Amino acid sequence: MQNETRVTTGIPGLDAMLNGGFLPRTANLVEGAPGTGKSTLGMQYIYEGARRDEPGIILTFEEFPEQYYRDAASFGWDFRELERQNRLKIIMSSPEVTKADLEHVGGTIQNLIAEMGAQRMLIDSITHFEGLHQDPVKLRKLMYGYLNALKRQDLTMILTRESAHLFGEGLEGQLDASIQFLADTYIMLRYVEIESVVQRAIVALKMRGSAHDSTIRQYQIDAQGLKVLQPFEGREGVLSGAPKRMTDSFMKAFVRR
Amino acid sequence: MRREDLTARVMKDMDPELFNFLTTYVDSFVKWDLLRFFHENPHTMDTSENIARYTGRTAEDVQTELQDLARHGLLEEMPVDDMRVYMLKANPATRTLLQQFVKATQDREFRRKVIYHMVRQ
Repeated sequence: MQNETRVTTGIPGLDAMLNGGFLPRTANLVEGAPGTGKSTLGMQYIYEGARRDEPGIILTFEEFPEQYYRDAASFGWDFRELERQNRLKIIMSSPEVTKADLEHVGGTIQNLIAEMGAQRMLIDSITHFEGLHQDPVKLRKLMYGYLNALKRQDLTMILTRESAHLFGEGLEGQLDASIQFLADTYIMLRYVEIESVVQRAIVALKMRGSAHDSTIRQYQIDAQGLKVLQPFEGREGVLSGAPKRMTDSFMKAFVRR
Repeated sequence: MRREDLTARVMKDMDPELFNFLTTYVDSFVKWDLLRFFHENPHTMDTSENIARYTGRTAEDVQTELQDLARHGLLEEMPVDDMRVYMLKANPATRTLLQQFVKATQDREFRRKVIYHMVRQ
């Protein structure tokens, strides 16, 4: 087990789940359906870095930087001011351009990382890489090279990935197996329905080189951002999207009707 | 009244730096869109095809105008593999002028002058 300084996310409850935070120079995947808060989690991580004088870059594909400025402002995070202070940059580009740029010595992104002293990155989202190759093997090689090029720059990254399914596991797409394997940490965000109320669940399914809390916890997004709360107690099958009371399952399994 | 005199009268109260910016960079609606786009998304780094999608214009129109803005020094055009990638020049003076121009276009009277200038091209 590594004994390294952790890169804290600044998200109440999540750092405790991750045994203090991410390990440095790692690629950490956050996967979830639309609206689960993947980008919010990523922005909060970048904001925490800027606050701690660990500059960060948001690399966005398709999403306009304007959206990030606006969303961040709703949590009280002034991303425009952080850009002026050179503690944050929001780059809008495409997977093919950034891939080619990173492969070149002295590329634009590499220069920007060096100039800012960037230590954190949010890539929002890697789902867009799926358009680059139909072949999963080639796609995996491409992602492997891409992430290594960024790790070489000493960055600790959050990669977001969209899941089309609102409830349940619903993993699909070319990147599924490969990106989960390539990522150092795999965090899943899910909607779950409990007694006709939709709640949000978070779980760290994997954390390479570190112990972590793998209980499924509730989380909420309020005016300060994302907060991880207590575990779902007395429920099972939470990740299916429709958990059952454990007593119901016990009755079904052991009691004859 | 001669055309030059009319132009001089219409533009007479415009800040000389903004007037210079207008006459150097803005001669079409597509360019105007692109200037606003790069002002709002200053760290964009992409191909003409993708920038066309972001601005809702055709790739052909956008490519010509991006090349023109690069030739005039507002954008950088860089070869990345077999692609041509465009980004806003890092020069702070250029960025400040762009910011002033976009801010000025919030004024209806200024917008009318920009349109008059473009129509004359």
